[in-house]
Parts: sequence; structure tokens; C-alpha cells
Amino acid sequence: MIRRDCLELVAPLMTDQLVLSSQSGQRIEWFHLSQHEGNLLVGMMGCATGVGMGLALALPHRRVIVLESDGSVLLSLFNLPTLGNLNLTNLTVFVFDNEVYSGSTMSEPTATAGNTDIAAIARASGIENAVTVDDIEGFKEHGLPGVTGEGLHYVVCKVEESLIHREIPRPNVDLAEYKYRFVRYIERTEGITIPFVGLG
Amino acid sequence: MEPVLAEKIVHGLKAVGIDFITYLPESRLSQILPLLREDGTVQMVAAASEQEAITIAAGAALGGKRVACYMESTGPYVSAYSLLTVGKQMGVPILLLIGFLGSFADQRNSFLYVTIGMRMIPTLEGLGLEYRVIENADNLDRHIRDAQRVSDSMRAPAALIFSGEFAR
Repeated sequence: MIRRDCLELVAPLMTDQLVLSSQSGQRIEWFHLSQHEGNLLVGMMGCATGVGMGLALALPHRRVIVLESDGSVLLSLFNLPTLGNLNLTNLTVFVFDNEVYSGSTMSEPTATAGNTDIAAIARASGIENAVTVDDIEGFKEHGLPGVTGEGLHYVVCKVEESLIHREIPRPNVDLAEYKYRFVRYIERTEGITIPFVGLG
Repeated sequence: MEPVLAEKIVHGLKAVGIDFITYLPESRLSQILPLLREDGTVQMVAAASEQEAITIAAGAALGGKRVACYMESTGPYVSAYSLLTVGKQMGVPILLLIGFLGSFADQRNSFLYVTIGMRMIPTLEGLGLEYRVIENADNLDRHIRDAQRVSDSMRAPAALIFSGEFAR
């Protein structure tokens, strides 16, 4: 299974979900597959799950989906005990775990290539249903309910390293444009005004 | 900190519409926490790291909340990465409330805190964040209002740093 296989299953299911991607190869693949206005790029590794938790708390009736990588999660393991205690019912985290720092030109191994099991850490942190899937059938069974269903989902997807993201065009949208498009989408679909974006 | 000072901080936060706060408790301003909890109108999220506290606050701001993040003076070091990325780079206003342990006016300063305290403001300046140091409760509501307006206008975190009377 490669990451793109999973993302191709998720993209057609987009309705009004809010999808955050960390700064990993998946952000290029996802934003190539989906031009959904509810997509937001969180520009660096280690921040997307935190931003996702804040969004999920602010908008408890909206499904928030976070696309993470093993490197990004390892950079912010402190998110797991917090997430394990918040009792969120509207957040899904997909961790695409290819066991390497794929952005490095040499694909250096991450800790998950060794003895570290992110789903086990998540479960021990209180995310009881955290699960690892390692084939596309497992992703369909455990991953897709997190796209359209309810509850807290934490799905570690063991994927082969893929370099597709280096071959497809990069999005021509910068962080500010993503942010404004995203918050205008929230304003329109929620019927609210985001306090800081319109003050002149 | 005198209880009345904690009440004034909470009053000022509520007056500018803060309805979401992330935090790591510390020793100088922690009396605001039970007041906020008792008040019940501000959603409170305890974080495991100041870096995480910034990201959670940023997410809530993008979802329409008026947010603050409360930390001690070690917090800007721990959260420098997320202050710069989701705060400055993405452009999300967050009102930072920092207990200034280790400062000149910290009434409980010691060798444990002073090194951290003395380099905290240069750290904020290095990150390009605006700040104001407050040593007493004079015009506190206005200081909070000013800081939030700066944060909104800059589309970036801005800090109120509490020392002096607040750090007893």
C-alpha cells in the first residue's frame, strides 16, 4: 500500500470536512487530488495535529481530518496524551507511516523503522481505538469510517515509501492564501465571522 | 499574586471576548485558572507543552474563537517553533499571557529562574513578536485590549508579560 492509494479513496468522500495536512509529501499528493476549500496546509511538521485539535474543539459539529506523517508525529508526541484526554468526537488523524524521512534526499529511517509503534503509544496515551493498518482493505475497514463517521479515529497507515509527490506539480498556493480560503469557507458554511480576518 | 489581581486579569480577558485559552500552569499567575474554570464561559485546554498550546490555540482561532495562551517565561523557548510557524508564518493572532519568572521585578527570583527570565524578551524579539511588560494593575484592561488589537492587526501572536505585583 502506498499513501496515494489511501488518499484516492478519501478524496471522493469530501463534503464539508476540514482537512489539515502537515508539511510532508502527502500534502502535495492531497492538494493535487483535492481542491476542497476546507483544505488547509499547516506549513511545518509537528503542528497539524495540534491545530486540528483546536479546530475540532472550536467546531465540535464539524469533522476535522488531519493528514500526518511518522516524522511529524514523532516531532510532537506530546499531542498524544492531550488528545487522549480531550474526549473529542469529531477528529480523525491519519498517520502515513513510511518509516523514513522521505523529504530528506537519502530517506533516512525514522524510529518507526525500528522498535517504535505509534499506534501503541497512542493507545497508551488514552486513544483507545488507535489502530495500525498495513493494507488497503485494512484502510477501508478502519480508515474510511473516520472520513464520514463520528468519533475519534487515530489510524496509523503503514505505507511503502513512494516518491510520487516529487513527480507531480506542487500546489501554486501559499500559506496565506490557504488560510484565507479556509477561514472564508468556514465563515460561509458556519454562518460566522472569524474575528481577526476582516478587521480594517 | 493577590487574588484581586487574578480577578482583574480574568475581567480584562473576558472584556475583550476571550473565549478559549490553552495553558500550562506555572507559579506566578496560576490563580487565574480556578477563576476561569469557575466562570465557565472560557473553554480551557490544558496542553502538555507550550509548543502544543500554541498550535491548539491557533486551530481554535481559525475556527472562530477568541484565543489566549497562558505560559511561564520558559514557554517562548519551548514554543518558538510553533510561534514562528503557525503564529507568524501562517498569520494567526494569539494573545500570549506570560508569567515573567526570572525577571528583574520577579519577587521570587532565584538562580533557578534568572537565566531563563533574562533571555526571554530577547527571544520574543528574535521571533519578531510584539510584547508589553506589565508590573501593576493600573490600566490593565487597556493593556489587554491594546495587546489583542496589536495581535489582530499583525495577524500574529502578541504578548503581555506579567511581572512586579503579579510575580509575588
